Amino acid sequence: MLLHGAYRGFAGGARDVTLDAATIREALEGLVRAHPTLAERLRDERGKLRPHLALFINQDDARLLGWEDAPLHDGDIVHVIPAVSGG
Amino acid sequence: MAKKVTLLVGTKKGLYILRGDAGRGSWACEGPAFAPAEIHHAAYDARDGSMFAAVNQTWGGSRIEVSRDMGKTWKTTKNPAFPEGTDRTFSKTWHIEPGHSKTPNVVWAGTEPAALFKSEDRGETWSIVKSLDDQPSRAKWVPGFGGMGLHSIAIDAKDPKKMMVGISVGGVYRTEDGGTTWVQDNKVNGAPSERPDVFYCIHKLLAHPEESDVRFMRVHEEVYWRDPGQTTWQFSTTGLPSNFGFAAAMHPRDRSTAYCIPLDGMRRTAAPFGIGVYRTTDKGRPGTGSTRVCRRALRSSLCARGCTTIASIRWVSTSGRPTATCGPARPKARAGAASRSTCRTSRRSTPPRSSSQ
Repeated sequence: MLLHGAYRGFAGGARDVTLDAATIREALEGLVRAHPTLAERLRDERGKLRPHLALFINQDDARLLGWEDAPLHDGDIVHVIPAVSGG
Repeated sequence: MAKKVTLLVGTKKGLYILRGDAGRGSWACEGPAFAPAEIHHAAYDARDGSMFAAVNQTWGGSRIEVSRDMGKTWKTTKNPAFPEGTDRTFSKTWHIEPGHSKTPNVVWAGTEPAALFKSEDRGETWSIVKSLDDQPSRAKWVPGFGGMGLHSIAIDAKDPKKMMVGISVGGVYRTEDGGTTWVQDNKVNGAPSERPDVFYCIHKLLAHPEESDVRFMRVHEEVYWRDPGQTTWQFSTTGLPSNFGFAAAMHPRDRSTAYCIPLDGMRRTAAPFGIGVYRTTDKGRPGTGSTRVCRRALRSSLCARGCTTIASIRWVSTSGRPTATCGPARPKARAGAASRSTCRTSRRSTPPRSSSQ
């Protein structure tokens, strides 16, 4: 998993984490285990992923692939990106 | 006089820390920290030197940061969290209030959605004050233009069990048992119209830092004073060019002096009367009231809380440059004697002319 922008700061400056995961959900769980400070930065107190969080699997938007259930394969890079919106 | 002065300046683009010398003629500006997050509030805890910042951000969600080394490093605290069984989730922090000196580990936080959170470990973790959250009248609370926040936490100077909180738009709630029970406290005296129990939009509610039971409140189109023994809010807007405004402060020692910055109610600007700080030295009583003591100041720029070791209040522009200071009011000063104020600005060589309406 490759962290971008603010999420590197939330993870104490970490750039990436390599882990075994079959889905985005498992990957996020592994990411939080590696960097617990990310827990509340990724999800609210109901466990819902926060808005303005973009997840890409390689070059594909994970929202179009099943979001948290999106499958992962060997060698995939999951990008954790602060989403930008507005004009 | 303090040897150094440190100011925490919350902006829409992060937190700035201004460090000044004893004479306050030289300032160093640090920051912004947490950019580009909005900092709705920052607080200094005189009990142990901690600093708190309400960091409100879409990326990663909002959070409360604490510094134990005067702003050199910051640590993210455990988020305030709404309990199970509600669809509300923590969105923003509007206010962080260090607890009374008799409760050294207690810190309070007001949030959006409007709720009061308490920390009993110097701000490391937070728990909702359920007794306030369970108020049946909470169903009547509605968002103001800025959201529905609990933005004011006023702790009595002498008794830590006596507190008031201000909610926009939900009114004032008072506790006298440390938050176990709450009552609505919205009855007014002298106002142009009656107010419902869920009061008009509270903009700022303050407790005097030294005098028990003295309160000052800035409401949407009104200003109120409260003295010991009174059970209603005393309408006190004499001398103000407009009844509308946000910023408010009480003098750190003088129990009859308070400050506010009036704005045009519709445009949220100071036109046509010009932006300035208005001061009352007699609780805004009719016949005397408030006079303008500084011509330059910005909204949300007043804070005297925690400034008990300094002798003035300073206003700062959005560029981070100090623009004006106002020295303490002379107790019992004659209203209208504005030329006696110690106001000065850093951009003008002569004191600004003060005026009353």
